[in-house]
Amino acid sequence: MSEYAENLSSALVQRRYEWIASTVDSTVKKGSGEIFTLTDMLDQVFLDKHLGIPIFLTILWTMFQFAFAVSEPFVVIIERVFEMLGAWVNQAISDPYLASFVSVGVIGGLGSVLVFVPPIFGLFLALSILEDSGYMARAAFVMDRFMYRLGLHGRSFIPLMIGFGCNVPAIMATRSMDSEKDRMITMLISPLISCSARLPVYVLIAGALFGASYAGTAVFAVYALGIVLAVVMALIFRRTLFKGEPSPFVLELPTYAVPDASSAILHMWSRGRMFLKKAGTIIFWATIIVWLLSVHPWEATSGGQVIAESYIAWIGHAIEPVFQPFGWDWMAAVALLFGLVAKEVVVGTYGILLGAEEAGLGDALVSQGLFTPLTGFAFMAFVLIYVPCVAVIGTIAKETNSWRWPAFALVYQTALAFIVTGVIIAVGRLAGLS
Amino acid sequence: MSMMKRLDELMPGQGGRIASISSCGNLRRRMMEMGLVIGSELKVIRLAPTGDPVEVLLRGYSLALRKNEAKQVILEVDAA
Repeated sequence: MSEYAENLSSALVQRRYEWIASTVDSTVKKGSGEIFTLTDMLDQVFLDKHLGIPIFLTILWTMFQFAFAVSEPFVVIIERVFEMLGAWVNQAISDPYLASFVSVGVIGGLGSVLVFVPPIFGLFLALSILEDSGYMARAAFVMDRFMYRLGLHGRSFIPLMIGFGCNVPAIMATRSMDSEKDRMITMLISPLISCSARLPVYVLIAGALFGASYAGTAVFAVYALGIVLAVVMALIFRRTLFKGEPSPFVLELPTYAVPDASSAILHMWSRGRMFLKKAGTIIFWATIIVWLLSVHPWEATSGGQVIAESYIAWIGHAIEPVFQPFGWDWMAAVALLFGLVAKEVVVGTYGILLGAEEAGLGDALVSQGLFTPLTGFAFMAFVLIYVPCVAVIGTIAKETNSWRWPAFALVYQTALAFIVTGVIIAVGRLAGLS
Repeated sequence: MSMMKRLDELMPGQGGRIASISSCGNLRRRMMEMGLVIGSELKVIRLAPTGDPVEVLLRGYSLALRKNEAKQVILEVDAA
């Protein structure tokens, strides 16, 4: 913009405010003295020098508790209903091929989309309530300095936190950011925040290999690794792809308001519907493809019973050499491939491959000697870093309206997973671990 | 008797009248659109728990500015 245009627009704003001020002065009568409003009172607590950050963290924690506590019963109901549907279809359809397609492919696919819905809608609802209450701007205010040091904006913090629940709403929540660069960095690092779907994998591996006394530490270490990597990647992206300062922080702190139930639900619905339409479609088709690959060749797998003979197992064997330096076998390769649909599927895949129920799965992993503590921890790290799931890639595609960024996210995360896992294995071996 | 001070130098409770905005381009426009225009009175309410950004009371509403932005606002402050 030329200097004149800039002067002109400044002059216009200046005159506009002068006009407002003079009009207000001549028409509005003000009482004397300052009024101490409810917002002032709340801010004195919420933005207090010592209480501000603890209160912020407590509100975040409450948000997760709310989202997951509210959604938990629905998740259980959906799982049960789809199990029953699948079993019923298996009985009702006599043709085994069609029965397998409908029960595992279609119903399983729908089920794996729908179990995501309650926690995601719960998070969106909590987010809407927080936004409508006026606290969201305060959260940015409280966290800005910390995020600024990482080359980010105060507004990046909430989306990243949401990532601990699910990376899909995290990526969608970056919409509240007005700088494109800040938003892209936040979007690209958010998958490194360990979502709740990855936890079952950590619990399985750590529980089996580290025993009750160290499993918690191992799981915590993976979460911490995710945060450290997110910080490192934010700094790298800021210095390479998205050069420049984080966008300026000039933000209104609005008056607190009691959130309106109908508008909160409307917000939740409009965002949730986006997830259902985009992520849902992708997860559904991915499940169908996985079904196709895991029951064919139909004869060799005895009608989808023996995954070890399926195409997916062939693929697993084919890419096994890539993972061999890490000490993993073809089953790990298959589990990681399936894990692209959704991370908790890794657990289920091991269940099928080892023919074990979920409760006995840890023992089966140990008795088969699939992992040592070192290779097991490396596996947890790999699960943390490589692409969270197809829904995340699909959401990045939708949000950036391109295929370049999702492709980039896929490549960089997979590369990072190999590098970090390689470093863990190398350091571990140097330290004398097997 | 008054003196010039940058907004980031003010302590909570202190205030003044905006004398000039030294930023330019989009940032200047954004700051002005938020009501940071020459002649406006503002008062620092508090700093964030970490010391940055700063919250000011301006035209009856609360505005938060990072110190980087706040130092572009030059105020005429009544010397006590």
